[in-house]
Amino acid sequence: MKSTSLVFGVKQTARSLRQNALMSLASVLTVALSLLVAGLFGLITANLGHIARLAEQQVEVTVFVHDTLPVEAVRTVESQLKALPGVTQVTFVSKDEALARLKAVFANDKDLLAEVEQQNPLYRSFEVRTARPEQIKPTAEAAGKMTGVVKVNYKQEVIEKLFRVTRAIRVSGLAIMVALALAMVMIISNTIRITVFARRREIAIMKLVGATDGFIRWPFVCEGVFLGVVGAGFTSLALWSSYSWAWSGVQRGMPFIPLLPKQPLLLDLTVLILGAGALIGAIGSALSLRRFLRV
Amino acid sequence: MIELVDVTKVYPNDVVALKNVNLKIDRGEFVFVVGPSGAGKSTLVRLLYREEVATRGQVIVHGKNVARLRRSSIPLLRRTIGVIFQDFKLLPDRNALDNVAFALEVTEASRREIRRRVPAVLDLVGLKDRARAFPHELSGGEQQRLAIARAIINGPSILVADEPTGNLDPDTSWGIMNLLQTLNRNGATVIMATHAKAIVNAMKKRVVAMDHGRIIRDQVQGVYAHEVN
Ligand SMILES: Nc1ncnc2c1ncn2[C@@H]1O[C@H](COP(=O)(O)OP(=O)(O)OP(=O)(O)O)[C@@H](O)[C@H]1O
Ligand SMILES: [Mg+2]
Repeated sequence: MKSTSLVFGVKQTARSLRQNALMSLASVLTVALSLLVAGLFGLITANLGHIARLAEQQVEVTVFVHDTLPVEAVRTVESQLKALPGVTQVTFVSKDEALARLKAVFANDKDLLAEVEQQNPLYRSFEVRTARPEQIKPTAEAAGKMTGVVKVNYKQEVIEKLFRVTRAIRVSGLAIMVALALAMVMIISNTIRITVFARRREIAIMKLVGATDGFIRWPFVCEGVFLGVVGAGFTSLALWSSYSWAWSGVQRGMPFIPLLPKQPLLLDLTVLILGAGALIGAIGSALSLRRFLRV
Repeated sequence: MIELVDVTKVYPNDVVALKNVNLKIDRGEFVFVVGPSGAGKSTLVRLLYREEVATRGQVIVHGKNVARLRRSSIPLLRRTIGVIFQDFKLLPDRNALDNVAFALEVTEASRREIRRRVPAVLDLVGLKDRARAFPHELSGGEQQRLAIARAIINGPSILVADEPTGNLDPDTSWGIMNLLQTLNRNGATVIMATHAKAIVNAMKKRVVAMDHGRIIRDQVQGVYAHEVN
């Protein structure tokens, strides 16, 4: 881009923002609010997804075997488990290790510990992981039918529900974001159209003396991008402070909820939102010009 | 260099402004287009820089059918044609200097080039002292000269002038005609639609006479109208 058109564009953008201040402010605020809704959705789904994924990692089938089962038979169970479709990991937990874990959890309950110390009541077990959550249930059922297996534990239903909720929120969030994006494009396009309309004669004359569409379009696109980015800037500030606030609150009040750390989440989100603001501004202004470039 | 082949122009309101017009203009010619109001003079010149597109027939400029130009090539065509519009088409919120500069700006000329050429052209049309004036602060004749300055700033190879002396007193008109003639001698093809009988008769250039959308006479070293006696 030559400096002539750069200067030309910047001058015109500044002039029309000044002349059109109120409408520009209105569209900046609309963009900011719409992006805020989108950003909050993004934060919520990101965190729900994070929680679900953490839970998923903890998802496993625990398969307990009879104390009387000989070691070779335990090995057979292990290889049978490994052969099941979708199983990615099978970990053996000995009686001693199970006891050690119990002690860690109930470190304060002296009576209980004293009791189990005398005679270890815990079964040997296998912790079985699968590639996907929906493979848990068939794995558990298959394991239950193996010889020497006492019982099978899994917490499938809760996790499944969590995933279903996350997916629903993600889908509806996406739909809402698409609707909001359209609304933002329309708002910006309308704001720019006021400027374009006021300048339609000028645009026609420019074209008649040999201006390219790009030369005419770019100051208006600048204006749209400016509106979009300023709106997105407000949104980023709001998201940044509200997430920091919520994050500290959760850390203090409900530390067992594993929220995503602030970084790089907020940084990524800011980049995304500024990009979205710029893109929406550019599209909005290009749309508003289309009709007037037909000279 | 310019050729109209069997051109008919029908406006959306069904007015037939041109009917089967054939016309050939060579490089370096000076052509007057004359005829009563509504004859189709403006329509004819608007086809050349593609402000309007022929309904039927071909308009060929620089060897190319302008109706077939790609969208991105139209600006390049227009930069080779300087147009003095009948209604001037000046920008009301820019002063004289900026109105002329802007025709260079759209071609992305350098700022130094703009600063050098604009005052020179304003000087040429006698508006040096009015450079800071806005169009509404200029007289009709001054506006007309400003429109001329903008049309010639790019050094166009074709100059289309739609009534360039319409608002001028005889002396200034002759000044403008001398300017057009100089540009013509320097190689520009000049096409001028006009009602200025005295000028046409005195200049002894080619005259294309129109009436009701048709060319009724095309005469080398012609006159404004055939006298009966
Ligand atoms: N944009 C337009 N839309 C519809 N009709 C038009 C348009 N421009 C011109 N006309 C009509 O086309 C016919 C030719 O008009 P044109 O402007 O070419 O005449 P002209 O010879 O330039 O006249 P004048 O000497 O008054 O400038 C007229 O009947 C006019 O009303
Ligand atoms: Mg006319």
